Amino acid sequence: MKQAQQLPRPALLWIIVAQALLLLPHLPRLPLWVAGVYLLAFAWRVQAFRGRMELPGRWLKVVLALAAIAGIVLSFGSLFGVEPMVAFLLTAFALKLTEMRSRKDAYVVIFLGYFVCLTEFLFSQDLLIVVYSLLLVWVLTTALVAVHRPAGRLRDLRPLRKAGVMLLQAVPLMLVLFFLFPRIGPLWSVPIKSHTAQTGMSDRLRPGDVSRLSQSTEVAFRAQFDGEIPAVSQLYWRGMVLSSLEDSTWRSLRYFEIPAQERRAPRLDTEGDPLRYSIIMAPTQQNWLFALRYAQTARPGVMELNDYRLYSPAIIENEYRYEVQSWPDTPIEKELSPWRRGVETSLPAVDNPRTRALAGRLYETTDTPREFVAAVLDYFSNESFFYTLQPPLLGDTDMMDQFVFDSRRGFCEHYAYAFAVMMRSAGIPARIVGGYLGGEINPVNRTVIVHQFDAHAWNEVWLEGEGWVRVDPTAAVSPDRILYGLERAVAAEGSFLSDSPLSPLRYRGIGWINSMRLRYDALTYRWQSWVTGFDGQAQFDLLRGVLGEISVSRSLGLLLGAGVLTMGIVSLFLFRGARARRRPVFEEELLRFQRALWRRGLAPIAGETPGQLTERAVLRWPQQAETLRALYRALERSVYAPLPTSQDGNRLRRELRKRIRGIQFSL
Amino acid sequence: MRQRQIFIFPSRTGFFFALCLLVMLIAAINYQNNMSYALTFLLANLFVVAVLHTYANLSGLTVTALNADDAFAGQRSGFHFRFSSGGKQGHHALLVGWPQPKKSGRGRRLLAGLFSSPTMLAEEEIELEPDTSRDLVLHLPVGSRGWYEPGRLRIESTYPLGLLRCWTAVALDQRALVYPAPLVSPEPTSGAGDAQDGRWLAGAGDDEFSGIRDYRAGDNPRRVYWKGLARGQTLQTKDYATAVADARWLDWEQFSGLEQERRLAALCYWVIDYHRRELEFGLRIPGTELAPATGDRHRDRALRALALFGIPQEEDGQ
Repeated sequence: MKQAQQLPRPALLWIIVAQALLLLPHLPRLPLWVAGVYLLAFAWRVQAFRGRMELPGRWLKVVLALAAIAGIVLSFGSLFGVEPMVAFLLTAFALKLTEMRSRKDAYVVIFLGYFVCLTEFLFSQDLLIVVYSLLLVWVLTTALVAVHRPAGRLRDLRPLRKAGVMLLQAVPLMLVLFFLFPRIGPLWSVPIKSHTAQTGMSDRLRPGDVSRLSQSTEVAFRAQFDGEIPAVSQLYWRGMVLSSLEDSTWRSLRYFEIPAQERRAPRLDTEGDPLRYSIIMAPTQQNWLFALRYAQTARPGVMELNDYRLYSPAIIENEYRYEVQSWPDTPIEKELSPWRRGVETSLPAVDNPRTRALAGRLYETTDTPREFVAAVLDYFSNESFFYTLQPPLLGDTDMMDQFVFDSRRGFCEHYAYAFAVMMRSAGIPARIVGGYLGGEINPVNRTVIVHQFDAHAWNEVWLEGEGWVRVDPTAAVSPDRILYGLERAVAAEGSFLSDSPLSPLRYRGIGWINSMRLRYDALTYRWQSWVTGFDGQAQFDLLRGVLGEISVSRSLGLLLGAGVLTMGIVSLFLFRGARARRRPVFEEELLRFQRALWRRGLAPIAGETPGQLTERAVLRWPQQAETLRALYRALERSVYAPLPTSQDGNRLRRELRKRIRGIQFSL
Repeated sequence: MRQRQIFIFPSRTGFFFALCLLVMLIAAINYQNNMSYALTFLLANLFVVAVLHTYANLSGLTVTALNADDAFAGQRSGFHFRFSSGGKQGHHALLVGWPQPKKSGRGRRLLAGLFSSPTMLAEEEIELEPDTSRDLVLHLPVGSRGWYEPGRLRIESTYPLGLLRCWTAVALDQRALVYPAPLVSPEPTSGAGDAQDGRWLAGAGDDEFSGIRDYRAGDNPRRVYWKGLARGQTLQTKDYATAVADARWLDWEQFSGLEQERRLAALCYWVIDYHRRELEFGLRIPGTELAPATGDRHRDRALRALALFGIPQEEDGQ
């Protein structure tokens, strides 16, 4: 192999650094053995570097590659999907380390590195991740520059500088392209992140589900209202409506279970002024969107289902932004179809006999459904029920009997469950609604931050003439939960966020930590709404604002203009030294000298040496003899003086020019 | 001299990189992922910026041809260059050499030149800091006897990212003198009686007085004919001569059995041999006659005469 094609050591070092940095954010998603492969490859390489071991031969490499593929299939169950793909890339990346000898190998590894960097974004586009990735791209580019540097100095930091300068120069045009590039839909369907756990509420609810979710400090979504933010106790974010109870599990109706004529909700006549707000949702890997009732959105593709919730046919895999208008006072579904009434009152044939009997007794004491609702809520608040994040486990059969009569300790889903069962057993249509309640108002940018621990379940009861009415049995047990949120409601128990001791949310009491947290959250919101949430609609609005009208020619013009401007600036920066290069000082200044004399009437003669010219000038202007001869000596010096640096050359040039100008005036 | 034409074109690595970018763009589109878009565009523009940086790495470079070493046919000759950089830009990872001549047609050669660099003869990689100069010797196998002109020097670089290949070909006025390859042959016998023993070689030695001549600057003061000066004559120098008992002649006719090139080669061999043995020799070939002498310069003169035998001289070489 030619020496010129060999990989210089500093480049290898940079590549190893880049690899380690690349692996880091992916680690939680990878099976542990991938990290092991990394360590092994690294150790092997270091030993080879020190000359203690041979790099693996071809057959060993084939075996290793096959073993890696087998390992991925074993760990993930398949090779398809984003996570196995990323695991595969990273393993290949590690193995490549052991066979890297030439520049060519380095190119492959570095370009692969850029791609791995991109895959990280498929999982998170968080601001911190983006900053980290930028650093990574810098290191990778440094490695690329180092590949073309001499092998000598290990601690050569110039590639780092060069790469940084080049990346900075690439940024302006990148921004223009980012905002101009048409956001088209997917070209073909891509493997989804099947292995990522779905987060947030699911469309199945068993007692214990919501309380488990309440340990999570992750943000579910952020909402920004156009006007005043309604009272936090009124922020019931509806996500899914659970109408069907089977095997002690509530779930929403499947599409095919709904008769064709009832699948789409009719638009309702709205009442009152709407609340306008936009929501940026964290990816859930599920389909439903959260909104206050009764919600409509203009976002194309979002469906309004017949239980009046918003639904995205595509799984939410990235941060998802939508604008909503809600009319909280609008009655929902004043007329109940027979099919709907049947669904919303059905109960499994024989379970929870004691709860049903209790409901029967209470129902008999009341005259109207509304009074019955109040009686049940009274029962919850008067009897010794407790609101707790740590409810005892309930057996599989007759769950509500155990809860209502024995344990009496439950989280919101227990109360919603019991309430719905009692309503339905009296023939009143009732269902559970899952979603979030309340949220934290960030004073920095007036957004409502809704965390996973704000997850909540409540009920809707259908009343004659009023339609579906919201009833929250938890409020009867723990008014604090509704008014002040979960933390206060379970304060005595000390169970709030007990699983995440390091979350900044636990230290809300400490002023500066909280203010930092809220500031960062506001930054994240801005980032999400401007950058990661930038979509076709936002692009349309922005371009119309900047260009006036959107046309191909204007967009291209903007792109070209920005391109030429950037390139011009970069060229100025690069060629500022080279531009100053001219003819040698002597040649140029001699010409100037000749011209000066000619202008004063002394024409040059062909074949004359500069010395002869000077002497002729002395004959003509004897009084200037000294000045002329001194100038001639200076000219000669410019030829015979040791090779000047460019600064010296420029100084000499300036001095000569001054002399020539002086002579021109004095003659 | 300074380059006028600098060519720049994506290297193979560059095309591979473009392919990677395409894949990344498709991933960004399919996953509707804005940060992936941003990364892809950043790298694409890195490519664009690299065009300027790669070009700047070659521009402003000055190459001066220095001397070229003489060599025997079939050997390598050292060609000396001075690379100097002006301005604030250094020049990195410059590959310098001569492309191997190719037989394919001009059109195809041009196209191939775009996509891959030619195989280089005598390749060297050099680094040049800003405002410095560096000398470089490239050793190139030279052809047959006579003047060897190496053709245009190619300077190529892919610095800083390897995505683009930037090259230039400089025509430098530089040629190496190629002597005939020495051919071992029987020692010629002194021929034709005109190289008899006992020839006197004036001026060189100090054995025997041979006459008085006018003083020339640089004459040894001990040899000045002071007596003459004292008698009022001009300044004169006593001249001595050495008897060159072993002065030898290398003569074209001595190798009459051989054809021209082999004859020159044989003469070349004996020139070297006599020089090594510090023998005095003269050279006589058609058109040139060198009086017997010794020393490096004499050898060089003899070899030069052999090298340029029969080659029309349009101008002086050095």
